[in-house]
Amino acid sequence: MSTLTLAAPRSTAPGLRDDILVVEGVSKRFGGRIALDAASLEVRRGSITGVIGPNGSGKSTLFNIVAGALPPDGGRVRINGRDTTRHGPAQVCREGVGRTFQISRLFSEMTVLENLVAIAHGKSDVEAVERARELLDFLEIAGLRDKWGSELSYGQRKLVEIARALMLEPTLMLLDEPFAGINPRLQNRIVEHLDALRRNGLTLFFIDHEMRIVLEVCDELYVLAEGRVIARGAPEAVRADPAVAEAYF
Amino acid sequence: MKTLALLLALVALLAVLPFVGSDYALSFTIQLLMFTSLAYSWNIIGGYAGYTHFGQVAFFGLGAYVGALLVGAGWHWLAAAAAASLAAIALALALGSAMLRLKGSFFAIGMYGLARVGENFALGFDGITQGGTGLYLTPTDLTPIYAVLAAIALALIAFTHRLDNARFGLQLLAIREDETAAEALGVRTTRLKITAFMISAAAPGAVGALYASYLAFIDPATAFAPMTELTTIAMVLLGGLGTVLGPLVGAVVLSVVNELLWSRFPELYLGLVGIIILGAVLFMPRGIVNAFAKRRWRWVSAPRAGLRRLADAARPVPAASPARTPAE
Ligand SMILES: Nc1ncnc2c1ncn2[C@@H]1O[C@H](COP(=O)(O)OP(=O)(O)OP(=O)(O)O)[C@@H](O)[C@H]1O
Ligand SMILES: [Mg+2]
Repeated sequence: MSTLTLAAPRSTAPGLRDDILVVEGVSKRFGGRIALDAASLEVRRGSITGVIGPNGSGKSTLFNIVAGALPPDGGRVRINGRDTTRHGPAQVCREGVGRTFQISRLFSEMTVLENLVAIAHGKSDVEAVERARELLDFLEIAGLRDKWGSELSYGQRKLVEIARALMLEPTLMLLDEPFAGINPRLQNRIVEHLDALRRNGLTLFFIDHEMRIVLEVCDELYVLAEGRVIARGAPEAVRADPAVAEAYF
Repeated sequence: MKTLALLLALVALLAVLPFVGSDYALSFTIQLLMFTSLAYSWNIIGGYAGYTHFGQVAFFGLGAYVGALLVGAGWHWLAAAAAASLAAIALALALGSAMLRLKGSFFAIGMYGLARVGENFALGFDGITQGGTGLYLTPTDLTPIYAVLAAIALALIAFTHRLDNARFGLQLLAIREDETAAEALGVRTTRLKITAFMISAAAPGAVGALYASYLAFIDPATAFAPMTELTTIAMVLLGGLGTVLGPLVGAVVLSVVNELLWSRFPELYLGLVGIIILGAVLFMPRGIVNAFAKRRWRWVSAPRAGLRRLADAARPVPAASPARTPAE
């Protein structure tokens, strides 16, 4: 594994929650359709936090609002204690947030290396290339370096998207269904990588469908249904919650 | 390296031409250089940033009028061309944030509209522009104009080569590929687009002014001719959109074909040019340069080779060291 520098985890007094992300009563409607209905949640610094919920329950909408890609109709978003509700996507990035997309959005007529280097910020070309190489090594995809975005398999895209978001040296990563549609072996590999990243101080906030992985990796889990948070807590407790079983299964 | 060698060869060729060539050759080369500059400029915003449009002739026309009016007011043609370039850059800056909000065909057509507005202003403000009659200038020696055009064309080739190997170029490509994703990942898309737009307006402004000096005349139909626009775009598409050598190859091929056909089939030539462009686009949809690059022709240097070399040269990552715990 390569040397990989990430932001240092901040220490806090024991017993006090240090939340990197706070979402307060965020709502969003598309026409007549309510995608998010006063949803609130907190993501603890250094945690792996998951969001699950049925199709159309507002998970991606929540991420898009946090990432500044969509303005909420109401409510507030705070990142690192700062109000980012009205921030645009590029501004949210500057707060240390990296993201991947539910449907891959790699730059397809660019190589993997170029995909990474293109979004580097505050680095010389040499430093950016160096960082890109480290990340590709870390995610064990150095062999893909000169492949075109359009040549990659579905699973490879997921990995490259993670690498690309890490170019920003984020403190918070938003991953929209990083495990969807890929084989269990690759899923396990990604889980290991995420765990290693977390040990390095990164906070991970991800959306998923599959209970198996959520139970395995999450410290804390939120369940969305019809735009509302219907349960939160440790994964095992959430799974045992009858309200969740009713909404989700 | 390959691009540098090519540039040197071009410089040598262009340097001897005025001494060995006929007036006809000089005139042909002036137009070729003009179109080369226009094609390279359009390639920056249309090819790299992916904002293809039909309005570059607005900058060319503005430059032509600014240049002609200043020369008429007694300025040296070179100073007038520099001022025309600044005027075009200023127009791009003023319009950029509004126009570049438009996407795809809306931007393309919006820019076409801008060119038509320019043409109609040139017709309408006849107190300044003499309207449809046009402005007449005292003819000047063509050789210095030729030299300046050659310098502009060479500078644009060199700039595009740099762009292709720099992060700025990659960021423009990222905008072309997926602007929303680029922005979501922190790329300052608006600022970059406006910068690229201003750069792409600089040469057309100057070239417009030089064209007016070359013709010793300008009128609205000449300054804002849709044919200038279409020829420029056809050259870039033919040569290879978003490539370093594409605009040059496209400009040379199309100019030569144009010239040969025009002298032999004066009535049919536009139709024949159209057929050739159609055929090229059908069989080489990504342009001549890309078609050859695919066949691994060595004289085409690989796109963005500089970055790849940098990655190859980067110091090897120390093996098997555990992920470093960050220092407080
Ligand atoms: N841009 C949009 N315009 C209109 N409706 C939208 C838009 N984005 C989302 N919606 C609607 O909002 C609701 C929530 O969508 P969202 O994508 O957030 O769900 P999700 O939980 O991510 O679902 P999935 O599991 O299918 O990814 C859905 O009903 C969806 O149709
Ligand atoms: Mg979704």
